[in-house]
Amino acid sequence: MAFAGGGLNSPSARDTAPGPRFFVFAVLSILLMYFDQRDGWSQRIRYVLQGAAYPVQVAVGSPRLLWNSTVDLFSTRATLRRENTELKARERELSLTAMRFAALEQENARLRGLANGLPPLVKRSQLADVVSADLSSQRQRLVIDQGDRAGLYRSQAIVDATGLVGQLVRVGPWSAEVMLISDPGHAVPVEILRNGVRTVAEGTGNEDEMRLSLLPATADVKAGDTLVTSGLGGVFPAGIPVGTVVEAVRDPDDILARVRVRPRASLARDRQVMALWFNPESPMAPVDSALVRELPEAPLARPVLEPPSPVAKVTKP
Amino acid sequence: MIITGSRESPLLVYITALIALMLTLMPLPRSLGVLWPNLLVLVIIYWSMMMPRAGGILIGFLGGLAIDVFVGSQLGQHALALSLLCYLGIRLHLLVRAKPLFEQALFVLAALLIYEGVLWAIDGFSNQSTGTWTRWLHSFTGAAIWPLVAGLLGRLHSPR
Repeated sequence: MAFAGGGLNSPSARDTAPGPRFFVFAVLSILLMYFDQRDGWSQRIRYVLQGAAYPVQVAVGSPRLLWNSTVDLFSTRATLRRENTELKARERELSLTAMRFAALEQENARLRGLANGLPPLVKRSQLADVVSADLSSQRQRLVIDQGDRAGLYRSQAIVDATGLVGQLVRVGPWSAEVMLISDPGHAVPVEILRNGVRTVAEGTGNEDEMRLSLLPATADVKAGDTLVTSGLGGVFPAGIPVGTVVEAVRDPDDILARVRVRPRASLARDRQVMALWFNPESPMAPVDSALVRELPEAPLARPVLEPPSPVAKVTKP
Repeated sequence: MIITGSRESPLLVYITALIALMLTLMPLPRSLGVLWPNLLVLVIIYWSMMMPRAGGILIGFLGGLAIDVFVGSQLGQHALALSLLCYLGIRLHLLVRAKPLFEQALFVLAALLIYEGVLWAIDGFSNQSTGTWTRWLHSFTGAAIWPLVAGLLGRLHSPR
């Protein structure tokens, strides 16, 4: 190392003056951050780095996988049998529901005046194993073991058996990163199943909690309400279960209701998730975001949250 | 390294940093994950003070970039914070190295708070979630286990 530097003085010079080197790296970091904010070639760098990072992610996640498979190995005959009967019961229930669903779908198509039934919403799905999870207060992400090679794409919807999990934010060659619906930077357009009231469910940085922050205090919402995706926003289709309202607090001093929601999907405990491809012909499919971009600017509804204007003062004598 | 007769071994630095990275990224239950120290940062602080020439600031930059890729933050965010810690470590290595472990731990606490502070400021500047107060907790556990980290790493190289 010392010889590579050249003269005898160079190591000690490097020792005493790390300033210029720090300056170079600091500038490099800031440039990286600047370009990472914009889409472009930094996406390509990410893609390569994500591919390089995948083996380490697998290694890091392997103790948990090993533990899980060990537990599976030693699960007794009795537990397996119990699980089997439970699953069979559930299967019967589901097939009954599916039958009813098929009838409803046909009726729906008839009401819409379509001769042959509606095209199915989900065109294709792909199971993926969760390789690692990052569940902190600033970031709620999963890494899954399928990526670009399996055809996954950015902002794809990810679900599990019970409900919405999140969307893909980065896709590497063999892996992809899921932003969970509980990520503090994530918001899902939802509607209350009971009455169709539309709002937005935001993540809080806690995988067991979300909140509805844009509901006025007068909105009809109560504990136990089920929330499903509303299909607005162009990422998720309509009707995927998102969560259940745990608590709705109305503060008389506040114009907004404080509503806490528990996500339906078991975000922190999922071992497998599913990526979905939607049939664009289905009326439930998310609106193509390219189409949204062609629309004229501004008609998107924004909640008006201005403080009450001081009209009362004027009427004073 | 043997040819130059130098005691500073970049290989040792990079291998321990890789192991520390893996331990840092380990998936943990939430309550433990909040307290889990960032071992990669601790290891890099240690080497920047004990072997300021082996890794240099480059190891900080690369380590930070690795964290950026793994946790999915902006590229360069952790790289900047960790380069800064390396710079401080190299700058102050003669001062801190001579101190007893307890006082070293106080320096490490300050360094970890600076590290988290830089990340926090960048999150704020770039309009991202700045998280809750729990993000600062790992600085304290990190400083608390410093004697352990320093003791373990100290066995790996012959002290001068």
